[in-house]
Amino acid sequence: MSVTESPTTVAISPRAAANTRTRVIGLLMAVIGLITTFIFGMGSVGSAKSSLTFTPVNLQSAPWHLGALTLSTRLCDVIIGLLMIALGVEVVVRHPAKGVMARFGLVAVLFFLALLVWAARSPGPSQVPFINLTSILIGSSTLAMVLIFGSLSGVMCERAGVVNIAIEGQFIGGAFLGSMIVSTTHSFIYAALAGAVMGGLLGLILAFLALRYLSDQIIVGVVLVTMLGSLSSYLNLQVLTPYPQYNTGHTAPNLAIPLLSKIPILGPVFFNQTGFFYVMLVLVVVISFGLFKTRWGLRVRAVGEHPEAASSVGINVIRTRYTSVIMGGAIAGIGGVAFMAAQGQFQPGYTSGLGYIALAALIFGRWRPSGAVVASVLFGISVYLADNLQTYQIPVPTEVLGMFPYLITIAVVSGLIGRVRPPAADGQPYQRD
Amino acid sequence: MQLELRGITKRFGSFTANDRIDLVVEPGQIHCLLGENGAGKSTLMNVLFGLLHPDEGEIILDGEVTNFADSGAAVRRGIGMVHQHFMLVPVFTVAENVILGFEPTKSLGRLDYEKAAVDIRRVSKAFDLEVDPDAIIEELPVGLQQRVEILKALNHDAELLILDEPTAVLTPQEIEALMAIMRSLAAAGKSILFITHKLKEVRAIADVITVIRQGRVVATAKPTDSEEQLASLMVGRDVNLTVEKPASTTGGNILEIRDLVVRDDRGIAAVNGVTLDVRAGEILALAGVQGNGQTELVEALAGIRSVESGTITINGRDITNCSPRQILDAGLGHVPEDRQRNGLVLSMSVADNLVLNTPRRHPFASRGSRNLAAVNSYAETLVQNFDIRTGSTQAVVGSLSGGNQQKVIVARELSRTLSFFVASQPTRGLDVGSIEYVHQQIVKQRGEGLGILIVSSELDEVMALGDRIAVMHQGRISGIVTPSASRETIGLLMAGVVEVASA
Repeated sequence: MSVTESPTTVAISPRAAANTRTRVIGLLMAVIGLITTFIFGMGSVGSAKSSLTFTPVNLQSAPWHLGALTLSTRLCDVIIGLLMIALGVEVVVRHPAKGVMARFGLVAVLFFLALLVWAARSPGPSQVPFINLTSILIGSSTLAMVLIFGSLSGVMCERAGVVNIAIEGQFIGGAFLGSMIVSTTHSFIYAALAGAVMGGLLGLILAFLALRYLSDQIIVGVVLVTMLGSLSSYLNLQVLTPYPQYNTGHTAPNLAIPLLSKIPILGPVFFNQTGFFYVMLVLVVVISFGLFKTRWGLRVRAVGEHPEAASSVGINVIRTRYTSVIMGGAIAGIGGVAFMAAQGQFQPGYTSGLGYIALAALIFGRWRPSGAVVASVLFGISVYLADNLQTYQIPVPTEVLGMFPYLITIAVVSGLIGRVRPPAADGQPYQRD
Repeated sequence: MQLELRGITKRFGSFTANDRIDLVVEPGQIHCLLGENGAGKSTLMNVLFGLLHPDEGEIILDGEVTNFADSGAAVRRGIGMVHQHFMLVPVFTVAENVILGFEPTKSLGRLDYEKAAVDIRRVSKAFDLEVDPDAIIEELPVGLQQRVEILKALNHDAELLILDEPTAVLTPQEIEALMAIMRSLAAAGKSILFITHKLKEVRAIADVITVIRQGRVVATAKPTDSEEQLASLMVGRDVNLTVEKPASTTGGNILEIRDLVVRDDRGIAAVNGVTLDVRAGEILALAGVQGNGQTELVEALAGIRSVESGTITINGRDITNCSPRQILDAGLGHVPEDRQRNGLVLSMSVADNLVLNTPRRHPFASRGSRNLAAVNSYAETLVQNFDIRTGSTQAVVGSLSGGNQQKVIVARELSRTLSFFVASQPTRGLDVGSIEYVHQQIVKQRGEGLGILIVSSELDEVMALGDRIAVMHQGRISGIVTPSASRETIGLLMAGVVEVASA
């Protein structure tokens, strides 16, 4: 049986394809909005109230004290849901050229907020009848900080054309060595330096195998993670357990910035943090500036995009890749120490895949430091909630929230939402002919 | 700048790619380096540009012996190279590409884009190379990208410009424009070394011609020499540049393509509404600048790319979106564009490659096991008939020269009963001898009443082989002309400029 179709000529431009993807994102946002409106909003008892508090537990002496904000659960979540729908519809109808991902991020944050409001409703299943929003932001900020260290490491390496899957391994190495150093020297500066050396060394191994022996970078990275996981377990058992004085579990002190830390709600989140947090902020600015405004950045990006072209104007491709990967490793190593400094005592396996989430944040952030920050914040919140929502006895399995970063990454990589393009020579071995 | 090469020798193992090459390029001179693929031109240029180090010999610039540690050193010494495959970062702007490696900076290592733009405008004005410094490279047409390559070299104060096969990707009009640029550069005192195997271009532009063959300088020639003279110097024997093509009687349509739409890997309609017929006993040559949908059209024909809409029929049988196996059985012979990637399994023997499309058929296999004796004797016959130069049918096909690899594919495809034959870039990268041979085989099949489609970006080949010439531009057929049409007409069609009445 053959059907003769009327001959049609379809012109498909890349612009049109991008529009289709934009519409998909818009629809997705609207669907999340509908879920929020009807399940969280209309699904709540009309008389239910949710309380939000803003005074962090560790900052009782704050000069400000905001009372609890008590809202109607239904009204609050319906409004949030409608706002999300409006954002989604706007994207579908107008398909703006820029800022789609930012809007999507906003919807994701709003979704978390609606979820929290719903979870804290009273009467409801929760034993904690209020939600401390500031505490949640502080808790998430620690995770986001670690993820930002990791994804900045990824930016450094992949912009130069080397895939660094070993971020997780560099976290583990940094955390292990950092804990030993801080236990013996009581200095987080020494610990950070040691973590940087450790991460840089692991970067050197990756670079050496990838650049000298042209080994598959993904495989080398996975091997490094596995090796560090096992090695740290072994050393933990052989060294840290019998000699607990090497793993005393200090946490880094918070350094409050005068005045700024007193700002209500946001002050404690941004300006009453450990030194690692401020180092991270500086790194974000320096790397963004360096990569996109300076000679060094132009050369690194050229090496990651078209190494032959870079080489033809006298740029040393191999050396550029070595330095980028070692610097990237060092950044991830510091990230490991930062994690340790927040958690205390080193325990085997306690980075629990944060390095991979950082990699996901790198991709979601389109290989840009600014994008990586946005993605890390989003993923940091979702990981924190996944770890802490049990408290609120939410009927949603926390593992579902834990999957969020990966689901987003799959959606991004498959081109379902947004268009991402890695550096053209990312992961490609380079050989001078 | 005066360049002198004295006794340059470069060996790779036991193979001598350059054998005591002497060459002098005077300032303001356009010096052509003419040679076949594999004659050693690219090796020589890589030596000159610091990418390879010569085993013997000297590079002398303005009377001074020089040694380049890397290409950056060559650039600093005033040598600029326009590579065959552009050395441009596609996602960077024109300005970023031009300054890469020699960036003007402000404090803190910040890039000084204002100074870069001023420099670029100055150079582009001086040499009539208009281009927007803020344009993104990948959004520019190929001709403009090449202009950026030249601009890049000039911005680095190149006094000697090497152009490596620069016309391969250009339309005839773009080639004219390039030649005008080369002339104005020479007039400004720059030395130009122009590498090519195209005789027409050599005669049009060269001041001096050096012919190299098998790594040696075999002659110097004048642009006034005839194409035949140049060709025989290049090949080392007399060659027949015209394809002997007896009159042929054409029959009915063998291939019919209707309103075909095919998307490329990015999802863009690379073939966008093509309707085309090829008759029995006819060679239809498909011309066009690379990347205008020819590749996707042929892939759709061969069943290795899915068809979005429209139909393809061979002898009235609908083969749209059929599997390659079904299409081969329908009588299609296919020589793919990239022979090493899609035409051969390089690590397998000549014999196995010769039966690659029929390995499970009688007599090469029965009851699930291969009959190697039949395969080998069949391979022996083909190697004889098609003059494939190989030590043995068991030799790994990757060890053969490009020309002989192509012969293996042609032999395999033409040794079945066919009704239609399609060949993409059938002579790309081949030496003149192999080109002659492949062309003869194609004409022979035409005499036997096959419908033939030849896709080529070499205009000479298109005009020599085609009974009709279809020109493709941006996924559409911009016109169909007879071989008597002028190069200018075809060139305009390639640029999509005019619609010409169908032949």
